[in-house]
This record gives sequence, structure tokens and C-alpha cells, in this order.
Amino acid sequence: MRILIADDELMSRRLLEKTMQRAGYDVTAVANGQLAAAELCKPEGPRLALLDWIMPELDGPGVCREVRKRKDQSYVYMILLTSKEKKEDVVAGLESGADDYLTKPFDPEELKARLRTGKRILDLEDRLIEAREEMRFQATHDALTSLWNRGVIMDLLGRELTRARRENKCTAILLGDLDHFKNINDTYGHLAGDEVLKETARRLVSSVRSYDFVGRFGGEEFLVTLNNCDPAFGLARAEKIRKTIAESPVETSAGPVPISMSFGLLLSQEWGYMSVVELLHEVDTALYGAKAAGRNCVKLAAPKAQSDGAREFAPEPAWRRQ
Amino acid sequence: MPKNFIDLEELLERTENDRELMRDLLTIFKEEFPQRHQALGEAVASLNATSVVLEAHTLKGMLSNLAAVEAATAVAELERLGRKNETSRFLESFSRFEVIAKELSRQVEAFMAEVSG
Repeated sequence: MRILIADDELMSRRLLEKTMQRAGYDVTAVANGQLAAAELCKPEGPRLALLDWIMPELDGPGVCREVRKRKDQSYVYMILLTSKEKKEDVVAGLESGADDYLTKPFDPEELKARLRTGKRILDLEDRLIEAREEMRFQATHDALTSLWNRGVIMDLLGRELTRARRENKCTAILLGDLDHFKNINDTYGHLAGDEVLKETARRLVSSVRSYDFVGRFGGEEFLVTLNNCDPAFGLARAEKIRKTIAESPVETSAGPVPISMSFGLLLSQEWGYMSVVELLHEVDTALYGAKAAGRNCVKLAAPKAQSDGAREFAPEPAWRRQ
Repeated sequence: MPKNFIDLEELLERTENDRELMRDLLTIFKEEFPQRHQALGEAVASLNATSVVLEAHTLKGMLSNLAAVEAATAVAELERLGRKNETSRFLESFSRFEVIAKELSRQVEAFMAEVSG
């Protein structure tokens, strides 16, 4: 673990440096408070610090205050080294944001024990961050496929459409539905069905660019947004994704399962100012068209005049049925 | 036999019995102490309490690290006087420190030879 030592007095610095190195720490040593604060405020800076109280440029409590101003980085555990023993000095040091203090000259064993306390606190913080990130992932991703979940993919789509309108760019919305998925479940079992969904997700992700979005929209439905793409690219990519999905059977625990997917495609530029819900309705209608056309194909949602009754007679979209 | 101004047992404990580190500390002390000592002397002569506090504090740290308890105590007294701005007692206190410092420097030389040998 990395540790910062800040002491303007060379003998103290050398003594601390060697003691810490012997205890297995990776040591960075500096001779004044300004350098210490700069080092500790780096994004990947040391998370343990031993700070002399009296230093040129910036004293130990000053370093603590500077470090505590940052809110977005990992916690830094700071110990002040001081020859001050008066209660008010100790209080002032701790009030500045120090976690602990040690009176100089220090005892090596006591110093190491106090640093172990600091390390325990940092380990605890790491575990809490890990748990928070895990919860964040669970709240935003589909548990089976690890794709964005329905709520997030719709939110991302909304943001992307806003951006595309602002920049006068096109977003391609692709809604895919696995063909005959119920038959797959009935024939091969639900475990194989889950394996098919996972592999479908993998194939979708592998066939889009890093800045496109893929989410599980519901059951066997997937929503893909191809961001910032011209219409010709959107059409070609949709077809490529369809081919990738159907390219080979999915190897499941129940044996190989051939799959295909039907897609509705919508190019946002052609639709003017419509809400996410309205656009999803249109792309779902196109998906229904792909199913009706024999499945395993891509149908483009084409804007129609309001007098055209097609929208009125469109079937209830799947995302509303859920 | 002159009094021992370095607590060897304490120094060994502080350096975790690391002779190389001990040699390093003694070398640093040998190089740094004369300048610091002189700076303190100048601060005392000019009755500059702020400088006395700063220089005495630095010397106190060095001497404590070397387990030179008596010298550290003597210089701590100067730091205390500086903080209280008792300039009239600077010279008397500094003289006491100088006596200890002189013998300490001699002992450091001897100890260095021993550690290096």
C-alpha cells in the first residue's frame, strides 16, 4: 500500500521512510505541505499519510483541510506527527480533518499499529464502495443478460434523442424480438431459454459500436440504439445485427438451438419531434410488420400522414402489454 | 567518564536495530547539525523570538530522533522561551545547550566510527 510522508526535517523523513519501507509500504516522501497536498489530491494518490505538524509552505493541519475539501475521491487516512501535546493542539489537529495523531519521537511499533487501524478503515471503505457499485449495477442492469434494464435503456434513448435533435443527427432505434421463443422454452426447457437470451445479448453487444446502447426491453425483446449514425449506416447495421443473431445455433446445455430475430427499425431524423413513447410505438409496429412478413427480417418504420389509419390499427405494442 | 548524551538503547529501538539506518541518521545529523546550531545561535544573538522558536523546534526534532534526550530537552527550553518571548533568558539557556551540544557532537563522531566499523 502507498503511503505519503511529509516532513521538512531530513532525519525524521529518513527514519519514517525506512520504518515504513520495512513494514511493506510503498513510500512517497516530500519535504513540505504544498507538495503533500498536491500528492494526496491526485486521483490515484496515496490513501495513507503521515504529516508533520510544522512544515514550510503549508502545515500538517493545512494539508488535512486541503485534502478534506475534495469530495469525489477515495478517503485519505491522515496521521499528524507532532511534538505538541496540549489538549487544544490535539483538538485543533483533529478538527482540521486528521484521523489520528502521534507524538514525536514516535515508537515504530505504535506507528505501525496506528497505520494498521487506518488500513482497516480504508479496507472498510473499499468494501462499502464495492457493495454500492454492485447495488448500482443491479439497479441498472438486467440480472440475466447484464444488459441495461428496461428503465435505463429508455432513459438512455431519451437522452440520445435529445442530443441527436440538438446536433441535428440521426439515432437509429432497433427493437428486436427473438422468433418462436416460446417454442424454444417449450422444446428445450427454461434453462436453455435463459442460455439463449444470454447468448443473444452477447451477440447484440458484439455487433454494435462501443458508444451504442443495448438493453433488455422485456421477455425476449431487446432494444438497441445506434447513436449518431446516418440512415444508410443504420439500415446496414440493423441487417448485419440480424445476420449475426441468426448466424449459428446457440450451444445450450440442452443442445444446439437455432435462433433468429425480427426487428423493427426507426430512424429518428425522419420523425421530427416525437416523444420516446411515441417512437417506441412506431418501432414496435414495424417489429410487428417484420413478424407478419415471416420473421427473421428488419422492417423500417416509415412516417405516415396522420390521415393514414395504420397507426390506429396497429396492434397493442409489446412494451405496453407487459 | 563523560555522561552519554545518546540513549543507544532507545536509538536501537527506534531504528529497529537497523545499523545502516543508524549510520544514515548520524551522517545527516553530522551534516545538518552545525548549520542549525549556528542558525539558532544567530537567532539568539539577535533576540529574534520567532526565529528562535523555529530553529529550536527543528533542532528538537533532530535531537529527539537521535535519542539525544538531554540536548532535546535543553533546546525545547529555548523553544518555550521563544514562544513566551522571554528574550532576556535566551543567552543563558543557549549557553546550557551549547555545553551539551559540544559533547554530543564529539560522541556522535565516536559513535559513527563504531557503527561504521
